[in-house]
Amino acid sequence: MKSRQPLFHVVKRDQAGPGRQLAAYVAAVVLALAVGAVLLLIQGVEPFTFYRQLITMGIPGSRYPWRSVENFIKLFVPLLITSLALALAFKMRFWNIGGEGQFIMGAFWAGFAAMQLGETLPRPLMVLVMALCGALGGGLYGVFVAALKVKWGTNETLLTLMLNYVALYFLQYFAETKTDWNFFLDPGSARPKFAKFPANAQMITISIGPFNLNLSLIIAVGLCVLLYIYLNYTKRGYEIAVVGDSPNTARYAGMKVGRIVIRTIFLSAALIGLAGAFQASSAGVLSTSITNDVGWTGVVVAWLAKLNTVGIVAASLLITVLQYGCQTASTTYPSIDANFANLLQGVILFIVLAADFFTRFKLVPRGRREAVK
Amino acid sequence: MNDPINVLTLFLFNIVLVNIPLLYGTVGEIVVEKSGSLDLGVEGTMAVGAIFGYLAGCAANSIAVGLLVSFLTAGLCGLLFAALTVSLQANQNVTGLTITTFGLGLYFFVGKGMGERWPAMTSASSLVNGYAALEIPGLSKLPVIGKALFSHNFLVYLGIGIAVLVWLYLNCTKTGLRLRAVGENPGAADSVGVNTLLYKYAHLILGSGIMGLGGFYMALYMSGSFEGSNCWINGYGWIAIALVIFANWSPVLAILGTLVFGFFNTLQIYAGPLAGAFPGALGWLNAIPPQLYKALPFLITAIVLVASSVRKRESSGQPAALGLNYFREER
Repeated sequence: MKSRQPLFHVVKRDQAGPGRQLAAYVAAVVLALAVGAVLLLIQGVEPFTFYRQLITMGIPGSRYPWRSVENFIKLFVPLLITSLALALAFKMRFWNIGGEGQFIMGAFWAGFAAMQLGETLPRPLMVLVMALCGALGGGLYGVFVAALKVKWGTNETLLTLMLNYVALYFLQYFAETKTDWNFFLDPGSARPKFAKFPANAQMITISIGPFNLNLSLIIAVGLCVLLYIYLNYTKRGYEIAVVGDSPNTARYAGMKVGRIVIRTIFLSAALIGLAGAFQASSAGVLSTSITNDVGWTGVVVAWLAKLNTVGIVAASLLITVLQYGCQTASTTYPSIDANFANLLQGVILFIVLAADFFTRFKLVPRGRREAVK
Repeated sequence: MNDPINVLTLFLFNIVLVNIPLLYGTVGEIVVEKSGSLDLGVEGTMAVGAIFGYLAGCAANSIAVGLLVSFLTAGLCGLLFAALTVSLQANQNVTGLTITTFGLGLYFFVGKGMGERWPAMTSASSLVNGYAALEIPGLSKLPVIGKALFSHNFLVYLGIGIAVLVWLYLNCTKTGLRLRAVGENPGAADSVGVNTLLYKYAHLILGSGIMGLGGFYMALYMSGSFEGSNCWINGYGWIAIALVIFANWSPVLAILGTLVFGFFNTLQIYAGPLAGAFPGALGWLNAIPPQLYKALPFLITAIVLVASSVRKRESSGQPAALGLNYFREER
């Protein structure tokens, strides 16, 4: 055999320091903003003014600054909960990319409850019922894939992907079909249009001076803490990590892998459904674009944060600032809108994905052999 | 217009015309998946190919330039995917989804940035002529079938030609055999001297390029009119991923699959006219909600996925190493 060795070979690194990772993130964001600046210049937009407006999100100088914060929270909460939930599944190497579908199902069943019971139940109970319906609707939509995966090894990536669209067109059917039995629609409108929920089905807000704090934010923060404890300090959370690392090890250690997968995916999908229910009751009305793409963006966030609970809070804040900032800046720059946020988001993730390689592996030059583990 | 035969002919004609971009996307994704990569970025790749191909085609007033640029820009998306997942071992699902997010972001950013400068397709005569129907002598004179199958623009024939060529390439050439080996078991292929790195890169670029051609087709089909809210590709990329499974990873079956999915896709629009033209036989079509037709491709694929996992077919065309990164040092 010829001894033609490559210039260098790749070896797995044991542990990368947190400093290295943080540096990679900062570099990714800075680089992405630089790429964005070049693109903005090509379009004839002054990047510094644009970025200033993006980061301040139009809050200073606004006549209703609190309204902006409220809207920001409405974008932030669904993304945060969805990302947390997806990370739960990804930890187990279960590729739940069905966030969109589970979110829609959550919103749909919450809307179902709102339209049926909204007039009779008092508000706190109504919001609770909607949350439960949403969680159950989303959870069942996800757990059925997990069951198929456990029983027959069905490819969950592709199946959850397909189910996203099934859910979307299911919702669209109710949005566009004007008949007597379709209680989702506004009876007063000639064209099919989702009716507003009864007042009792609107998300509870707590007034602090001029600011109305959305209750879902408090619940989302509570969920973060609970999930952090669940994943790091409980037996069940530990089982998720073991199954993710090696199902065979888990089986050998006597864990019931199938049951763990089904339980965790139900939890993951139910949380996404809950996010859908919150979104529906915060908006007070259903819509076919209710997901605002959180099912997809959540994957980006979860991955940016390396599935780490604290990281997810930071990453979803960052992404929401990008999205909400671009949205508000677009009032002054008509050619740029939330899509610019998607572009930046893509560039950030590309750089982080590339940088990951250098935290996970190292290159050893030719000739210098190290013990390969 | 209300002549039943006429309606039927138009229905069949549109099944082909509207859905051939799906075939491009599907054949591209088959090439990619056969090398072992699951690229979920089809939608974004097609969007990138569509907008740059269209703009370049208009600027140069040449359909050839348009095709070339759409192939190359989409190929760059494939190169990016390859660099991240093959060389840098990044997760394929995440990378693919990011390519979709990024590609669509770029599509709208470029399109909206053009603003008033957006070129109209009518000003590029080469594109208009290139997209005009080519009547195949003799065959196009046949009743119904002639109009439906043999009087399309040349991109339709090109798409079918590419599908057949890719099938031949995969099944009848040595390189194709090696490619399939890379997708099934890269370690084994590597050990007999196949350059897995090169194979993965080359086919990701080639496959993505083919998707880009589908995007370009879509641009011409939409007469190059840019809308701020809807992308030209409009979900075709996702249907293409579904179609790969439905066609069991065979480009020739993909032609058939395109017609099946296209049938439902087109029925969405033609259910009314068809029911009107054949009130006795097809009157019930009006009772079916159009959303069902939209959902059917995904529903059918979901059923196919589950059924094939239950039966564990030996003949499944799914590459065994699909979606798994190959890390050479862990052979």
